[in-house]
Amino acid sequence: MSNVVDIQHKEQSPPLPTNHETLLEVKDLKTYYPVKGGFFRRTVGHVKAVDGVSFTLKKGETLGLVGESGCGKSTAGRTILKLLKPTGGSIVFNGEDITKIRGGRLRERRKDFQMVFQDPYASLNPMQMVGDIVSEPIKNYYPRKKAKEIKQEVMELLNRVGLPDDAYYKYAHEFSGGQRQRIGIARALALKPKLIIADEPVSALDVSVQSQVLNLLNELQDDFNLTYLFIAHDLSVVKHMSDKIGIMYLGHIVEIADKKSIYEEPLHPYTQALISAVPEPNPKKKKERIVLEGDVPSPENPPSGCPFHTRCPVAVDKCSTIKPELKEVKPGRQVACILVD
Amino acid sequence: MAEVINDTSITKIKVQKSLSPWAVARRKFLRNKLAMVSLFFLMTVSILSFLAPYITTADITRVNIGSMSLTPSSEHWFGTDKSGRDVFTRLLYGGRVSLLVGISCTLLIITFGTLIGALAGFFGGIVDALLMRFTDFILNFPLLVFVIVLNAVFFGKLGGVPVLIAVISVLGWGGVARLVRSKILSEKENEYILAAISIGSRPAKVIMKHLLPNVLSTIIVQATLTFAAMIVVESGLSYLGFGVPAETPSWGNMLAASREPDVLQNMPWIWIPPALTLVITILSINFIGEGIKDALNPKSLR
Repeated sequence: MSNVVDIQHKEQSPPLPTNHETLLEVKDLKTYYPVKGGFFRRTVGHVKAVDGVSFTLKKGETLGLVGESGCGKSTAGRTILKLLKPTGGSIVFNGEDITKIRGGRLRERRKDFQMVFQDPYASLNPMQMVGDIVSEPIKNYYPRKKAKEIKQEVMELLNRVGLPDDAYYKYAHEFSGGQRQRIGIARALALKPKLIIADEPVSALDVSVQSQVLNLLNELQDDFNLTYLFIAHDLSVVKHMSDKIGIMYLGHIVEIADKKSIYEEPLHPYTQALISAVPEPNPKKKKERIVLEGDVPSPENPPSGCPFHTRCPVAVDKCSTIKPELKEVKPGRQVACILVD
Repeated sequence: MAEVINDTSITKIKVQKSLSPWAVARRKFLRNKLAMVSLFFLMTVSILSFLAPYITTADITRVNIGSMSLTPSSEHWFGTDKSGRDVFTRLLYGGRVSLLVGISCTLLIITFGTLIGALAGFFGGIVDALLMRFTDFILNFPLLVFVIVLNAVFFGKLGGVPVLIAVISVLGWGGVARLVRSKILSEKENEYILAAISIGSRPAKVIMKHLLPNVLSTIIVQATLTFAAMIVVESGLSYLGFGVPAETPSWGNMLAASREPDVLQNMPWIWIPPALTLVITILSINFIGEGIKDALNPKSLR
C-alpha cells in the first residue's frame, strides 16, 4: 500500500526530469568579500555574500533563484561562471570540477557557460557596433573562421532574437532597453553554450517588454537545448520561467523545490512570507499576508544559528543557536528549517 | 514581434550604416570655429617649420659680422640678431626643434603613461601597488633640477635634442599614468567588461578593445595639454640654457637672447617673433584640446 502511495507521489511532482543527466552541481559554494580596515588596510572581516549554496541542475532544466536585494544571488551566479573567485565549495560543470581551473583551461570552458546581464545599458560596449559585439565571442574561439561566415552567423543570431538586419551596423545606444537585452542574449548565444545564467535579465525593462524577452528566452531554450539558471527578485517572473525554484536569504538557500510545491505549499517561513507578498489579481479573493518585520541583517555580521531567526514569525529559542542544514523533507524538496520535518 | 518587423521597414528607409561615436565627435569638432582656426594655425606653423630648408636659403649657424642687429627689411623680414643671423630663418628652424621636442615627448609620455596606468587599473592588487609606487617614485623627481644635473653630467659628451627628449619623457609620464589608471578603474566596473571576460576575451584584448576606446577621449585631451606643456618645458629649459644646445635654434634659445637688457629694450624684433609664435601656438593647442573635449562629450550639443 505504502508503495503505491509513493509512486503516486512521484507522479504528482513530475517537473524534475529524472532521466536527464546532471549539468551543473554546486556544493557548499562560498564567496566572501574581504573587508579592509585600519591603518595598514588589513582584512578585518568578510562579507559573506554567498555562504554555503548547494544545488544541482539537470540538462534542459531551469532553476529560478529568488531572494531580496543583497541576498547574494547575483554573486552566486557570477561565482558559478568563475567571474568571481569562489572562497570555498565546489562547482562541477558537465562532470568536470571547474572550481580551481584558471587561465587557458578556464577560457576553453567558458564557451559552454554564458551570462545574460542585468543592466542592458552597462553590459554593451558603447564604442562597438552590434555586429562586433555579437561576433567577438566567435572570433575569440574560432580565430580561423572566415569573416563572411561569422557575419552570416551573427546575422542569423540577430534575426533569431528578433532584431532587424541593419542592427549589425548600429551602435547599442540606438536601441531601446528591450532590444539591447536581445543583443546581450545574442552575444550569450553566439558560442552555443550549454548553460546560460540570466542575472535578472528583465528587471531593468518595462513590464510590457519583460514578457517579450521572457518568451524569447523560453523559445531559445527549446531551440538551443539550453539549461538556465534564472536569477530574479520577482516571483511571478520566476514562476513563468522555472521548473525548480531556490529561495535565497542572506547567502543561504533556505528552500529548494519544484515550482508547483513552492507556490502551493511553501514550507520555510521565509518562502511563506514571499509567496504571501505576490499580488493577487482577483480583488475578491482575500489573502493572508505575512509581513516581515525589520531589515535584512548585514552579511558582514550574520546572526547566529538560523540566518532568518531575527525576522522569523515562528522562531523559537533554539533557532538562534542551531544552524539548520538544507535537508530533504520530501522527495525533491529541500528546506533549511529546524521546525519543518 | 509585429513591432520588430515594423522597425525594420522604417530603418531601411533611413541610413544603412549609422555614425560611430568617433564620427559624431569629428562632425562636432569640424563645427567648432575656434578649434578649426587654431588647427589651421598650428598646421601652418608645422608645415612652414618642417619645410624650412626649402623656404629660406639663409644659413642658420654662420655668424655674419656685416649684418649684425639689423632692423626688419625686405631682405631680412624679421631683422637679424646680434650675431647677424636672419630671425625669420631661425624662427622656422626653431619651430622644427620646439615642435619635434613637444611631439616626441608627448608621444612617449602618453604611450608609457597609458600602458602603466592601464595595466595597474585593470589588474589591480599587487600589480597596481607595484606600478603605482614606481609612478610615485618618478613623480617625486624634480624635473628641472634633474635635467640641469644631467646636463652638467653629460656636458659635451652626449647632449643635444634626443637626450633632452629622453629625460623629459622618462620623468614626465607619472601624471598620465595616474589619470589613465583612475579612468580605467571606474570604466572596468561596467558589466560589459565582465561580459568580455565571460565570452573568452584575453586580458590584452579586454584592455585594447573595450577599456582603452572608452577612455581614449580623456587620453586625447590629456595629450594636447601635454603637447602644450612640453613646448613650454623645452622653451623654459632652453631660455635658462639647460635645454637644447645653444647652437641649435629653438624658440626657447631665441628667447634667451632677451636676457640681455640691451636686446630686451632696444631690439624687440629679435625676441618678439619667437615669443608671439610660442604664445599663439600654445593657445592653439589648448583650444584644439578644448574642442576635442567638447566634441567627445556626448552631452554637448554643438
